[in-house]
Amino acid sequence: MEWAALILGRAMAIAPAKLGELWESRELLTNLVGKELKLRYKSSVLGFLWSLLTPLLMTGVFTVVFAIFLRIPLGEGNFATFFLAGYLVWTFFSNSVNSSVGAIVGNGALVKKVYFPREVLPLSLVLSQAVHFLLALLATSPLFLYYRGFHPELLPAIALGLVLLVGFTAGVSMLFAAVNVSFRDLQELTQVLFLAWFYSTPVIYPLIFLSEGTARYFLPLVLANPLTWYVEFFHQVLYGIPAIQGANPLPTWPDLRTWAVCAVWAAVALTAGYTLFHRRAVSFAKEV
Amino acid sequence: MGEEPQSPQGPHRSPAILVTDLHEVFRIYKERPPSLKERLYRFRRAEYTEFHALDGVNVRIDQGESVGLIGRNGSGKSTLLKCMARILPADQGRVETSGRVATLLELGAGFQQDLSGRENIYLNGSILGLSRKQIDAAFDAIVDFAGVRDFLDTAIRNYSSGMYVRLGFAIAVHVDPDILLVDEVLSVGDVAFQERSLARMRSFKERGKTVVLVSHDLGAVRSLCDRAIVLDHGRVTFDGEVEQAITFYNRLMRTRGRFTPAVATPANPSGDGRARIGELRFDVPGHDLAEPVPSGAKATLDVEVIAVDDLVGHGSLAVGVALRRPDLPSPVYETRTSWQAQYVAPPPPNASLRVRFDFEFNVLTGTYLVDVLLGNAETDEVHEHRLSALEVVVHGAQYEVGVAPLGVQMSIDNPDGVWPAPADG
Repeated sequence: MEWAALILGRAMAIAPAKLGELWESRELLTNLVGKELKLRYKSSVLGFLWSLLTPLLMTGVFTVVFAIFLRIPLGEGNFATFFLAGYLVWTFFSNSVNSSVGAIVGNGALVKKVYFPREVLPLSLVLSQAVHFLLALLATSPLFLYYRGFHPELLPAIALGLVLLVGFTAGVSMLFAAVNVSFRDLQELTQVLFLAWFYSTPVIYPLIFLSEGTARYFLPLVLANPLTWYVEFFHQVLYGIPAIQGANPLPTWPDLRTWAVCAVWAAVALTAGYTLFHRRAVSFAKEV
Repeated sequence: MGEEPQSPQGPHRSPAILVTDLHEVFRIYKERPPSLKERLYRFRRAEYTEFHALDGVNVRIDQGESVGLIGRNGSGKSTLLKCMARILPADQGRVETSGRVATLLELGAGFQQDLSGRENIYLNGSILGLSRKQIDAAFDAIVDFAGVRDFLDTAIRNYSSGMYVRLGFAIAVHVDPDILLVDEVLSVGDVAFQERSLARMRSFKERGKTVVLVSHDLGAVRSLCDRAIVLDHGRVTFDGEVEQAITFYNRLMRTRGRFTPAVATPANPSGDGRARIGELRFDVPGHDLAEPVPSGAKATLDVEVIAVDDLVGHGSLAVGVALRRPDLPSPVYETRTSWQAQYVAPPPPNASLRVRFDFEFNVLTGTYLVDVLLGNAETDEVHEHRLSALEVVVHGAQYEVGVAPLGVQMSIDNPDGVWPAPADG
């Protein structure tokens, strides 16, 4: 735990000045997020419709393969909405980190010529992905409303869950962006890493599958994966509790353990990611 | 140079920039970029050599001073400016600044090709540290200065290179800092453009702001600065009055004499190979290339540029030619697309483009070498530097010696009579 205390101490020491600087750069951050959104939607004919179509098409494909061909048993539940709840979380996370990996290297010319807090580069990518997440959630909400019912009392939980997810993702994104400056092939490596990461996250299978048989040996691995907890969080608030037989309980306020683990991972990722990023950031201009 | 330097204006003014014993070391890796695979594989750190760009620099610049940083290429002047701008960290020593700092190292840094002029004004403005309100207030002035009002909603990629640079400049000069750090950028563009930029900097100075200017253009330093610092090999070798500094600098150039290419880094004399120079086609219309070229002949040089890596989005390429004579210390002539504010978009990998140089050999008899340079206009990377790519023998007027045909006519006023020259020379 000594290293944890060390990192935390360091983070506390630099945080006030750095956060102040970040606050002063909020307009830059807003403009960069705006730029990301505009660029994405300007160059495609369907524009914002992609936010709707991509998750729906993916849900269609995965539902056919996993619910119809492979018959993943969900009792009286609904595979499409179960998948969608986890998939939205996964897409947000993987898109954020994968675009942030090259955030510093890709903006090398800018980093070498202008001083600004470097963290706005990965943060703007994460925030623009958060906007996509919200749009996709909004676009697919009729499915959730139809199959899983309307639960306005859960809106604060969804909002807070998103805050925790964005915090965790921002931490991981800064970490990857900083490490990629020194080791450029991290970009290649993330592709494989994220494939393995996807399957060790309960997106296409419910976590209860891992409670018996040989699968149970993999349970600790899946539980050690922080993203599992965010996916579980959104399963609980958007889908409910998946069950192999009978009725699947409807959406509910997440249990305390899920809340706690999500909050802890967000804090750890943010602290570690930000500390490492900040320590490396001073020499980015030298290395890109 | 060990003590903290005093400004010529005396110590009573408060320092805007205080640089104390600044060292800056660059690691030049043998293989770039270092990879994780290599690191795990061979279990060792990548090999590198160290290059001391700054080696114990002490500078104090007071509020309201305008100071020129001059020195040869690779002397560390741009590195010093980047340290003042906080772009580069101090490896040893300190850099302290007081007040808002704005840096103009490149016009249009961070322009997004697919966004409109209007959107880019806001984005670029905020990158340079302007708030939305400040940009709103300056918006019309920026648009008029750049002359792009009719193209505000057109994507920047469709701008001409002139518009691109003007817009970048217009945004940059509307940043109103306490300390303005300028590196060479203002030397691009035509004469009118340079005049405007100098006028704008003079008005900064008149309003009591601090200006630090890195430039090869000694005229600009002379007209703008009241003090100049000469750097050589990462050290301050002269700090004081401008004329004296320029004299010192010229002497330095002469003694150390050999022609150094403008952007080649010490580690990379022939370039990083991310793009390469393909075919070079040299032609002097109407003349056999096996024969010496007559002085004043028009010639063309076609340079083929081939991208190796994906450089799209890494900023403009710069293609340059230098004409030199092996017996002279400095080049006879040198130019570059980027100096003429020509934007050269990098082609996708393996694709090529051609740059054509039309010029006149207005030089006297001698053997001239042409160097061709390919680099990045914005970073200082050199992709390929082909030294002595061409050798051209020029035949000029018989009785003139030197480089430039100045067309001297002689008339001799001698009351004792003019002796005719012998008939056969």
